[in-house]
Amino acid sequence: MKYVDEFRNGELARAVAAGIASLTDPNRHYKIMEVCGGHTHTIYRHGIKDLLPDQVELVHGPGCPVCVLPMGRVDEGIEIAERPEVIFTCFGDMMRVPGSKGNLLEVKAEGADIRMVYSPLDALRIARENPDREVVFYAIGFETTAPSTALTLQRAKKEGVENFSVFCNHVTIVPPVRALLDSPDLRLDAFIGPGHVSTVIGCRPYEFMSADYDKPCVVAGFEPLDLLQSILMLMRQLDEGRCEVENQYGRVVLWEGNLQALKSMAEVFELRPYFEWRGLGFIAQSALKLSAAYADFDAELRYSTPGVRVADPKACQCGEVLKGVLKPPECKVFGTSCTPEHPLGALMVSSEGACAAYYNFGRKSFEKIEIGSKK
Amino acid sequence: MMLPSYCTLNYNGCVTCSDAGIPVRVVSMEGDDALCEDAAGSRAWIAVELVMPVQAGEVLLTHGGVAIGRVAAQEEDF
Repeated sequence: MKYVDEFRNGELARAVAAGIASLTDPNRHYKIMEVCGGHTHTIYRHGIKDLLPDQVELVHGPGCPVCVLPMGRVDEGIEIAERPEVIFTCFGDMMRVPGSKGNLLEVKAEGADIRMVYSPLDALRIARENPDREVVFYAIGFETTAPSTALTLQRAKKEGVENFSVFCNHVTIVPPVRALLDSPDLRLDAFIGPGHVSTVIGCRPYEFMSADYDKPCVVAGFEPLDLLQSILMLMRQLDEGRCEVENQYGRVVLWEGNLQALKSMAEVFELRPYFEWRGLGFIAQSALKLSAAYADFDAELRYSTPGVRVADPKACQCGEVLKGVLKPPECKVFGTSCTPEHPLGALMVSSEGACAAYYNFGRKSFEKIEIGSKK
Repeated sequence: MMLPSYCTLNYNGCVTCSDAGIPVRVVSMEGDDALCEDAAGSRAWIAVELVMPVQAGEVLLTHGGVAIGRVAAQEEDF
């Protein structure tokens, strides 16, 4: 199939891997962070790690919005969902994210009207069809998802749909990356930039990585060869002593991003002064809330959510994994009391969470699979 | 036929992940929405205000029912 086969060609992959190996200094250790959960998924699904030299380590970043959502925000969503007048709508993965007293799926089983939607526009349609009920959409996601919420709110305002509101948990990618770069725990050499976030925001926002921190960044696509080529581009930069932002995903990502989407987001959202990230703590200006012009659609104001902070379960080490300090199998509950069927932490819930990717694609230990071996 | 792992309208992995985007071809237009088809032949109505102007035959990147980008011409034939 065109568009897939050429990005999964084994011969080409081996050639690119050989290129990476030729640029690897045997006396140096390279730590490259893939910021995005989609990249983590591809790396483990396709065994990219096994094609890389031992000296090249991939560190999983905070780019899975389900995984970084603090428990308090899940609890507040559940409180809204339990109100009898409310039809609560959310994306599928949100249903299983554990709050302190259960998840949305369990609350639904107890009788709450919670509906899974594919798009916030579906939630708006439900509001139109149920004028006597209040419809709330649980908005979550980085800059890839935020435009769909913005567009939905613009349509709701234009149509005057008064029984629709949004519980906004959208986050932005640059502040947590900056927080990681400032973290004393972690020494990173380079970054694989998130491809579809960059479709919206472009490549310019990453320039601080090279300008302020001397770290190369390559914005990458999501097929196996996209990732291998991006790693090769990063290794070339490191080998040549360059620190630049490069765009490997040029077939989709424009340098300046999608200006129409950014304009729509600027109208509907404004930056929160601070927001809590699971594992990373409070980060300034790292999340979005509805702007004053859209305050009538803000579920936080409509239902006066208190903004409580809830600590993660003690056994759960999602925070350390999110910061790249621990690998998933190093977590003491990985694969035992925390599995995709019964997740304790959010990293095991989403298919793009680092723990779920490790678990689902057979990397339950650090054992390296030799290419061509029978293991 | 091998399908992209999370790049179809019926199976796209985690829609809440900011990086799950699906390439779709525009079949027809109706106002601000376009009927689009993915690589597996599944169809859905997608909001296209954010990538206007759009014409039938173009390939768009969609996320959560909204087109957020355009796929370059040389790879349209997916």
